[in-house]
Amino acid sequence: MKGLRFNRKHLCIPYAVFLILFVIAPLIVIVYYAFTNGQGHFTFNNFANFFTSTKTLGTLLYSFAVAIVTTAVCLIIAYPTAYILARSKMKKKHVLLLLFILPMWINFTLRITALKEILSVIEGNISVYPFLNSVIGMTYDFLPFMILPLYTSLLKLDNSLLEAASDLGANKATVFLRVTLPLSVPGIVSGITMVLLPSMTNYVVLDMLYNNTYIMGSLIGSYFSAYDWNNGSLISLILLIIIFIVTLVTNRFSDKDTQKKGAIL
Amino acid sequence: MKRFKKFLSAAAAVGMFGASAFAFTGCSDNEEVITLRVCNWEEYIDLGGWDDDEAIDLESETILGENAIYDDFTEWFNDSDFGFKVKVEYSTFGTNEDLYNRLSLGDVYDLVCPSDYMIMKLLAEDKLEEYSEEFANGEYSTNVSPYIDGIFTQYGWDKYAACYMWGTTGIVYNPEKIDDVADVSTWNILLNENYKRQVTIKDNVRDAYFAALGILKSDLLTDPQFDSNTLSDIMNATDSETIAAAEDVLKLIKDNVYSFETDAGKADMVTGKVIANYQWSGDAITILDEADKDGTELWYSVPDECANLWFDGWVMLKSGIDGNVQRKAAAEAFVNFLSRPDNAIRNMYFIGYTSAIAGETVFEYLDWNYGADDGADTIDYDVSYFFGYDDEYIISADASCFELEDGNEMIINRGRQLFAQYPPENVKSRSVVMRDFGDKLTEINQMWINVRCLDVLDISPVTVGIICGAAGLVVIAGLLYGFRYKLFIKHKPKKGYHKIDE
Repeated sequence: MKGLRFNRKHLCIPYAVFLILFVIAPLIVIVYYAFTNGQGHFTFNNFANFFTSTKTLGTLLYSFAVAIVTTAVCLIIAYPTAYILARSKMKKKHVLLLLFILPMWINFTLRITALKEILSVIEGNISVYPFLNSVIGMTYDFLPFMILPLYTSLLKLDNSLLEAASDLGANKATVFLRVTLPLSVPGIVSGITMVLLPSMTNYVVLDMLYNNTYIMGSLIGSYFSAYDWNNGSLISLILLIIIFIVTLVTNRFSDKDTQKKGAIL
Repeated sequence: MKRFKKFLSAAAAVGMFGASAFAFTGCSDNEEVITLRVCNWEEYIDLGGWDDDEAIDLESETILGENAIYDDFTEWFNDSDFGFKVKVEYSTFGTNEDLYNRLSLGDVYDLVCPSDYMIMKLLAEDKLEEYSEEFANGEYSTNVSPYIDGIFTQYGWDKYAACYMWGTTGIVYNPEKIDDVADVSTWNILLNENYKRQVTIKDNVRDAYFAALGILKSDLLTDPQFDSNTLSDIMNATDSETIAAAEDVLKLIKDNVYSFETDAGKADMVTGKVIANYQWSGDAITILDEADKDGTELWYSVPDECANLWFDGWVMLKSGIDGNVQRKAAAEAFVNFLSRPDNAIRNMYFIGYTSAIAGETVFEYLDWNYGADDGADTIDYDVSYFFGYDDEYIISADASCFELEDGNEMIINRGRQLFAQYPPENVKSRSVVMRDFGDKLTEINQMWINVRCLDVLDISPVTVGIICGAAGLVVIAGLLYGFRYKLFIKHKPKKGYHKIDE
């Protein structure tokens, strides 16, 4: 009967089952399709096609451009906001924070539809500035994901460090540049990961704001609607590899604590 | 005592489970229940919930949708004497390709409602179950329009598919915002510089390709000497030369239109963001109705070149039916139930599309819906081709809903709701069914990707310069930061505490 005794390790079983069913199994299917052709024979052709076609490479570049600009704009808006929310002695700052989080509770297609109407009023004809609109839409959609990690990392900043820096003669700008900014790098990094990667594939925003140019997500969709699962899977795989590389790079900059706890990788 | 309580509750739980299991078997004991798995387009059936004032008050009967049609079907079926019960499992799909992918992945349905070309594809792959001989005596075969039946027989679908809805493709437009009505009578509106970024096109490769062919072959198709027997072959051309030409046209269209849309075009048209909109006839009716509520009068035109005649039909899948006679009977009963005139009218009213069902009641509904009010100028609108030539089916419709030329002769390709719902015969004669792309699909999809994707070679040198410049700046800034102690601050701080020299 000893073997049947409940062990704390057994709590992992549901988690492991979940992981195998919804993470590992789909991954295997994707890899299988990415390296086979329509007849199920092993091939590198899909791979070669992707890196030799100027269209797919252009799409990759375009996705990167949208994602990088979105992330930069998010960071520029989110840092001061998070700083004010975390460091000021305002009485109602929780209400303010709530206002920034509140849009996340509303379905994003609804929000983008509303944004579309607003932009139509401002710009007149929104189809004239597709890139600008895509960036505005993505920024609107992903801003809370940038603010929150920054807010938490700035909130736990030890006040005594700042006081010590001032005591030692640093002016406000130096305190910010030499103490606050370096200590908030983990927040910046996790904010960037949370915005950069989804904004490379979130083609719904582009569709809804009438950007006629495909990004990676829409390209996958177009392959699947031509029943070409092989090329579609290959692009998913390439995205996965990009995500892997980005996480690997950003992990070097992230919090020592979280690294010890074994963060993402 | 505690232990005893635990035992009691466990026993109670077991008892309850047993009782419920018993109740369950008791219920299904007398008659077998067949689950009918139906998969239909989204928002493509009457879901009920009508207000009382929405009732369609015909002379022969009053029609009102209280519950979803599939629930009504279940109730009707289980009250009838079929010898078994049925339970409908109703689900929806977004595109034909979506449905096909789901079937390939192993989803099982008994009855699905794909479009013409997907029916062709499924038929070619031998996935469709043939309708039984009794079906030929059912409601569908009795009520279906002879026109639709003729086309289905011509294409050889009649034994495998029962037409549900049908229509054309055309252009919805706002007559007040266009310069010349001739502009909207051609697919060329998509390229018209005067309406730059004010017209939308459908965001799917088939509809876009069709419009591109219409533009390419415009001169030929509008030639008075044109032989209409060749229409089908011209509009179904998929040779590499035509595909390449279509690619060039679509690239121009991409830079000229407001958007490629799947669903958003309806709202954009009603709110006036665009002045014209490539649309399926059923959605066109919805748009016209919505705009009427806002006091804007929109029209529907079918381009002079040609229109895409499309059908959605109910087909039974071999994988779902799986030789089960009862299931097949239930599926056929479902199709026949939908083909009852009252249910066809309910669906038409609810979704705005045109049912394939003809017959006196449907004609009565048409007359109720489109017949002119007393005192208005009327025009005789002939829909006999649809309802059958055995009788005269002419609606005296409001003349202001059509454009007339010299008295009562109708300009062939513009009108309002009635025109969109039942196109006149002349539109019908230059409509063409678009076949499945078959093994050309990969090539055409690549063409579509070429149109929609940014080509690295198309990026302007200025953009490349800006990007390279920005990247270079970042790299230089990084290098300067990395070597800051060597370059600017000569004394590098040492790590840890250290004695201060005196």
